[in-house]
Amino acid sequence: MTNWTIKDGKSIFTGGKDSYKAAVQTAESCPSFSEDCEDELFCSDAVSCYNCRYRRWTTESFECIKRRQK
Amino acid sequence: MKLFVCIDDTDNYDSIGTGELLENMMGEAAIKGLAKIGFTVRYQLYIHDDIPYTSHNSSMCCTAEVKDREVFTGFCEDYLENNSAEGSDPGLCILTDASEIDYTSLIEFGKSAQSEVLTKEAACKMAEKFGKDIHLSEHGGTGSGIIGALAGAALRAGKEEGRIKGKLQPLSGKTDWTASEFASVFGVQRFVDEEGNEITDNISIRFVHPTKLLYSKGLITSVIINEGGLLMLKPKIKKNREKR
Repeated sequence: MTNWTIKDGKSIFTGGKDSYKAAVQTAESCPSFSEDCEDELFCSDAVSCYNCRYRRWTTESFECIKRRQK
Repeated sequence: MKLFVCIDDTDNYDSIGTGELLENMMGEAAIKGLAKIGFTVRYQLYIHDDIPYTSHNSSMCCTAEVKDREVFTGFCEDYLENNSAEGSDPGLCILTDASEIDYTSLIEFGKSAQSEVLTKEAACKMAEKFGKDIHLSEHGGTGSGIIGALAGAALRAGKEEGRIKGKLQPLSGKTDWTASEFASVFGVQRFVDEEGNEITDNISIRFVHPTKLLYSKGLITSVIINEGGLLMLKPKIKKNREKR
């Protein structure tokens, strides 16, 4: 099952800001994952899209910048 | 002279963040003898598609005490020109910290940056009202970072609540503290519970996870949580509540 939806050309995470398991699973299989700076870490999972420097927060969820560039 | 120093939009996805750049800049200013520096507060600004933030639209503001404002300002300008990331839109705000200044309209600007899309023109117009007490400058790209820079300085001047950059690490060999001991060792000035209610009793607290401090009501503040009857410092990042 995909965790992404395309909106205006942007890949938006469908799990919003409270789907920790999906965010971990997605990040674990992502070659682009890179942890953001300490002050911007969001959750306690070391590897999670929520803690990735390439996520751009939106009102409801986040956009994956790396997927935008693909 | 005391100052608020705030920068914004200095990064890109592969560079260091704006908070780190601010700390580096201020560290270098201190080494050069240009400023004594205080702690940095992070303010969350509005998340909206029409705002060109990199990833989280936060603004970082620290305090400084300087002898020569002109020299210090020139140093900050040069630093941003030379160290901001490619493709960024850096802005710098240096605001006088003085009790005789009425910051009311400026604070309203800062608060509106947390709930509205603002323009550079609005930022410049607001800055003009404060004359020599505000330096606001663009340093490349669209220069839209002046909006967040002004907002961050305004929020700090208004003693609005934000997170203090960095974290406190537990000390090895000591997990249990009284509030007064903890305050004395870590410089904490106020304790609150998760609802923001002030705790004034000299409670016993456990400190076993890294924690972050808040700047709240103008004071360095620790948040205390109740975990099954045990009072603890709130962990720096939230624990995941979702079942696995």
